Amino acid sequence: MTMTARLTAPGWYRAALSVLAGALFAFGLVVLVRALYGYEPLVDGEAITTVALISMGVAFLLGIGCFDYWFRWASGAPTVPDDHSGHGARSWRDYFRVNTDHKVIGIQYIVTTFVFFVLGGLMAMLIRAELAAPGTQFVDPNTYNGLFSVHASLMIFLFIIPVFAGIANYVIPLMIGAPDMAFPRLNALSFWMLPVAGVMMTASFLAPGGAFATGWTAYAPLSTEMPVGQTFFTIAVQFAGASSIATALNFLVTIITMRAPGLTFFRMPLLVWANFTTSLLVVIATPFIAGSQFLVLFDRALGTHFFNPGGGGDVVMYQHIFWFYSHPAVYIMMLPGFGIVSEVISANARKPVFGYRMMAFSLVAIVILGFTVWAHHMFVSGMFSWLRVPMMITTMLIAVPTGIKIFSWLATLWRGVIHLTTPMLFALGFITMFTLGGISGIVLAILPVVIHVSDTYFVVAHIHYVLFGGSVFTIFAGLYFWFPKMTGRMYDETLGKIHFWLSFVFFNLTFGPMHFVGIDGMPRRVADYADQFASLNAIISVSSFLFGLSFLIFLYNMVTSWRNGPRAAANPWRAHTLEWQVSSPPPLFNFDDIPTVVGGPYEYGVPGAVHGVFKDREKEPVPAGTSGVAHE
Amino acid sequence: MESASVSFPARLEPGEKPVTHDHHGPPEANRSSRVDAQFLGMLLFIISEIMLFGAFFTAYFFIRGVANEAWPAEGTHLPVAVAGVNTAILISSSFTMHWALESAKNENRAGLRAGLLTTFLLGATFLAIQVNEYVHIGFAPGDHAQGSIFYGLTGLHGAHVFVGLTLLLFATVRAFRGHFTPKDHRGVEVPGIYWHFVDIMWILVYASIYVL
Repeated sequence: MTMTARLTAPGWYRAALSVLAGALFAFGLVVLVRALYGYEPLVDGEAITTVALISMGVAFLLGIGCFDYWFRWASGAPTVPDDHSGHGARSWRDYFRVNTDHKVIGIQYIVTTFVFFVLGGLMAMLIRAELAAPGTQFVDPNTYNGLFSVHASLMIFLFIIPVFAGIANYVIPLMIGAPDMAFPRLNALSFWMLPVAGVMMTASFLAPGGAFATGWTAYAPLSTEMPVGQTFFTIAVQFAGASSIATALNFLVTIITMRAPGLTFFRMPLLVWANFTTSLLVVIATPFIAGSQFLVLFDRALGTHFFNPGGGGDVVMYQHIFWFYSHPAVYIMMLPGFGIVSEVISANARKPVFGYRMMAFSLVAIVILGFTVWAHHMFVSGMFSWLRVPMMITTMLIAVPTGIKIFSWLATLWRGVIHLTTPMLFALGFITMFTLGGISGIVLAILPVVIHVSDTYFVVAHIHYVLFGGSVFTIFAGLYFWFPKMTGRMYDETLGKIHFWLSFVFFNLTFGPMHFVGIDGMPRRVADYADQFASLNAIISVSSFLFGLSFLIFLYNMVTSWRNGPRAAANPWRAHTLEWQVSSPPPLFNFDDIPTVVGGPYEYGVPGAVHGVFKDREKEPVPAGTSGVAHE
Repeated sequence: MESASVSFPARLEPGEKPVTHDHHGPPEANRSSRVDAQFLGMLLFIISEIMLFGAFFTAYFFIRGVANEAWPAEGTHLPVAVAGVNTAILISSSFTMHWALESAKNENRAGLRAGLLTTFLLGATFLAIQVNEYVHIGFAPGDHAQGSIFYGLTGLHGAHVFVGLTLLLFATVRAFRGHFTPKDHRGVEVPGIYWHFVDIMWILVYASIYVL
């Protein structure tokens, strides 16, 4: 290929060129506008950075080729909609270009998000190194503030939310008997916005004045007065949020319009239900964080007064807008995990999910109640005092549908034939840890308690029990569970079990003691602490390093098993859902003919029961009596 | 990522057809809903857009309702009548949009082109009047919070008009290049829904900023 062809064809060369053009555009635009308005000096670094972050991000997407098809379509030129040249992966190179295959995109998502998981994890290690003893060890307080802020932002926006989207991207079209997602090109665009956001957040460490140091919550007026590093967060969130909304929209349309014949809503696997409800949350709530960051950006770049009380603005308003997204966001970070755990527990206990319909309805209840609790993050913010007690009550109420799910999983395990595979261990670990995290959440809902422990390590312990012991354990469960389907290889079960036990033990040793230092009053988000907390913090730090090392076992297991693991059968778990009825990995378009669904997804223990049947397969299926409804 | 290359050879189950990877089109997906995918996608996107406006309206509520600032800010006034004329222009463009779609359905090519072109020009006129208003209104977004939210809400809406105009431009170009038939007019219908949403949203913005 000649250089000219490389620079005009979609791909990395053109992306590099257009990113450069994006930077020049930002420089030119800012200088031009400042010249027209007569501002001095003409070259303003912060303004150029702000424009460049937007223009370079968009330019990358243009260059890599996310919009090529749409441009042809928009200009009315002939398009080539059916050649599928951008579909599927024949070599590893195909994972590094715009690809429309949901299976490729799923793996792109998972690998990318794990890169940012490792980055965020390394920042956590630095944080614990700094906190190993009182006083200043390795980093100055400003860098420390940047570290915990970027750590949280990467973990939330670049790991937990998108890795669930990645797993769902791979599994959901297979589960509902669809050849792909409803909008494959939008799906590709959603993925490619992620690395833009992640690189932007990480690059904020290079900004003058350091990385954004406001925490992931970016409260105004702190965020409107931060050095330019804050802009990296403000704009990166827009890319991550747009990616999130586009994917959620795609899931909703796919699940509504592309289910296999016979797959009624109450025959859908609970993972599909979980992602359906999560996507509703994303579509409705995510625009609020976009709005909050737009307003911050306007205050920073245009000198508006949204959050400046001196000019008539309102500071608490930021927190209302922010938490109206960010509380539903904790369910965005949890509901897909609920779905994964339902699949894993049912298949590994060889029993139908107990109370299938209630499991689905409780997801819907969480979606609705999730919008009524946002101000419980603001009990000490000086908001309207009449809002406190209603928020306390709704916060306790939302534990009810979550409790329904916990008890349903326990009842599913009851008298099951339990196979303690690695995904099952992580699912069981999830139930215990998430219950603990949920209970500390109820404690935090109680007004007098939360006023005492607000902004202490008790809150840090709670968030990590629900997000690591909860969400990340379900992510591990899901990855081990679908690893054979995604790669066509089996992982090493012994290493998997070692990984589980090490992470389970050191997770508790790391975050358990934080409850105690929190109740004793150790504040979070401070680089230094009083001597009385020294011994517990030393224990926490040592445990956290071992906890971090346990991840290397997972990484080693994944990499070596993907290369050399034994070939996986199509259905190693003898599960009933549709994705296990095709080869591992599945064919290019998933199904040679679309299966017909004849029963519920979890009819384990019913002799001869199947979920879906294929026309040209020889075995004569016996439809499962009814759907999952029968087992309420 | 080297290892990714192993992900293709699929082991076949007994009774499964061998899969060839050369130009093998997808099987037609089952249609489990009567609703068209593009139509549903646009509706969901509009829900998302409504919520984005919701965030800005929250700011409006706090500045005008909670902080109880004078509205409009002391010493300024809003051109209610001019904006009212502009509202009429935008609303009439919804009707021309509808005309374009009906023409596409009835194979009236001239009507389709004229309808789209008129809609586009009306939208562009709206935007031009809005910009002219900004130039002459006499306060800047940085002057006070009322100014911030005035420019914030009308600017957010203006940005949506711009996006709507871009979509209309695509549809217009395609209409003039001979696309769209009575059976296939999704490329007019879907931008049309968005355009109607932009119009209705303007009525809310106009009512809360200028009238109330």
